[in-house]
Amino acid sequence: MTDKFTAILLAALLATVGTAQAQVAVVVGAKSATASMTADQVAGIFLGKSNTLPGGAAAVAADLPESAAVREQFYSKVTGKSSAQVKAAWSRLVFSGKATPPKELGGSADVKSFVAAHPDAIGYIEKSAVDASVKVVLNVD
Amino acid sequence: MKFKSHAIWTAVLASLACSAQAQGAADSIFSLSGFGTAGIVGTSQDGAQYVIPGQIRGADKSWSGEVDSKLGVQLGARFNSMFSATVQVLSKQDGRGSFKPQAEWAFAKLQATPGLSFRLGRMGAPLFAVSDFRDVGYANTWLRPPIDVYGQVPISHFDGVDVNWQTSLGGKTITLQALGGRSSSYVEGTKVEIDSMLGLNATVELVDGLNLRLGHVTGKLTVKSASLAQLVGVLRQTPFASVGNELDAHDKRASFSGAGLNYDQGNWLVLAEYTKRNTKSFVPDTTGWYATLGYRVGKFTPYVTLSRLKTDSSNVHNTVPAGLVLGGLPLGALVDGTTAAQSTPQKTAALGVRWDAWRNIAVKAQWDHIKTTGAGQFHDAQPGFANQRVNVYSLAVDFVF
Repeated sequence: MTDKFTAILLAALLATVGTAQAQVAVVVGAKSATASMTADQVAGIFLGKSNTLPGGAAAVAADLPESAAVREQFYSKVTGKSSAQVKAAWSRLVFSGKATPPKELGGSADVKSFVAAHPDAIGYIEKSAVDASVKVVLNVD
Repeated sequence: MKFKSHAIWTAVLASLACSAQAQGAADSIFSLSGFGTAGIVGTSQDGAQYVIPGQIRGADKSWSGEVDSKLGVQLGARFNSMFSATVQVLSKQDGRGSFKPQAEWAFAKLQATPGLSFRLGRMGAPLFAVSDFRDVGYANTWLRPPIDVYGQVPISHFDGVDVNWQTSLGGKTITLQALGGRSSSYVEGTKVEIDSMLGLNATVELVDGLNLRLGHVTGKLTVKSASLAQLVGVLRQTPFASVGNELDAHDKRASFSGAGLNYDQGNWLVLAEYTKRNTKSFVPDTTGWYATLGYRVGKFTPYVTLSRLKTDSSNVHNTVPAGLVLGGLPLGALVDGTTAAQSTPQKTAALGVRWDAWRNIAVKAQWDHIKTTGAGQFHDAQPGFANQRVNVYSLAVDFVF
């Protein structure tokens, strides 16, 4: 009886954890040449260490607003860095004129239409927002 | 000169106006960003001023806001996927004690392939690991880059060309940079020029988060000091012409080499540089190094830095007899005085903390304990200020936008 109760409680807890941390999908346009990417490749582009997609084309990265919970989750899971660390890393690149940070868009819908329209664009959205206009190249759990 | 800076300002203002107009459009080619620091610093000792080497006003027991405070505005224009341009205007206390805004960078960039780019114009002189963003407090963990290393060459930009090549080998990034040009700036009120500047820089990611940087820059150094020219001129009329030639800083070979390690993974942070300055003039050969260790605890990053600046050689063998007076000038003493003023050895232990207070604001506090040989890197030392132990207290707020 007690075991059963514990199991239910555990399942409930796991479910809560699951919903609090929405899954993030790294997406490109449905017609993009890129099929899949590793977390390192994605992190390289979003931290400005590399600007190329696996196929060799120059990547055009799109960000979500700083207020979006998905953004914080994406960076901490994929790059292992906090928002402040990412901002400091980009200020090193921007103020030495070496790179331009990802384009900040308004929300998931904007990211989807942006990557759908640009063949070399890459962005991230919550997994539940994925539809036929985009292709998932990496799942971030 | 006046006209030139006026022209730059007009261009910047015109571009800003354009960018403001263009901001409504979704795909503006212009981007505006900026950075700044409001900082104050004070020391435990009167009799000499704590400065960032090159400056002419600093702090003693009376606190100063002029050492670290600065404001930079950067305008980027991206014309297409190949051509872009960047102008950065910076106001900080320069080598003439003025906060007059100056064009720190102004370059055009051609991105030939995703990994290969060429730049033309005024750019950051890549002498150190953080030379490109040494003024961007927010980008750095320390309150300011350790002056025992960064004070060796108080030059932040050069005019010329560079080529950058970046590639990935087994998932690790390799960056190579070659540059050529010239540089002109004021150091403690004196004009310093470096012509025929050539440099190479390599950054290699060794393992995840660990980067090695190697750099070497050479050039022809000219220090436009009237009193130095006079002393050299007089010495050349005497049997001690060789002493004059050794002192002379007109088109003299100079080089700066550095190796740096940067580890930034998880909560640990390690930064270290080992650098050497060599010249064929009265500017002495030096070795400077620092090592910083930091550990992130949430929004706080406490760090400790040890650093040292050492004079390896004064480059001048003073064979002038001590008592010799010629044309009213005590030559031997003048030569010794000139070389001694250039020798600024010191050791520093520093403790600080960076607090990421808000998403684009960092607050920092740092305590430096400096042990000088002679006056060390302190400015305008009064007689009696020699071989001191000085505590330096600094507070700063850094922001980017």
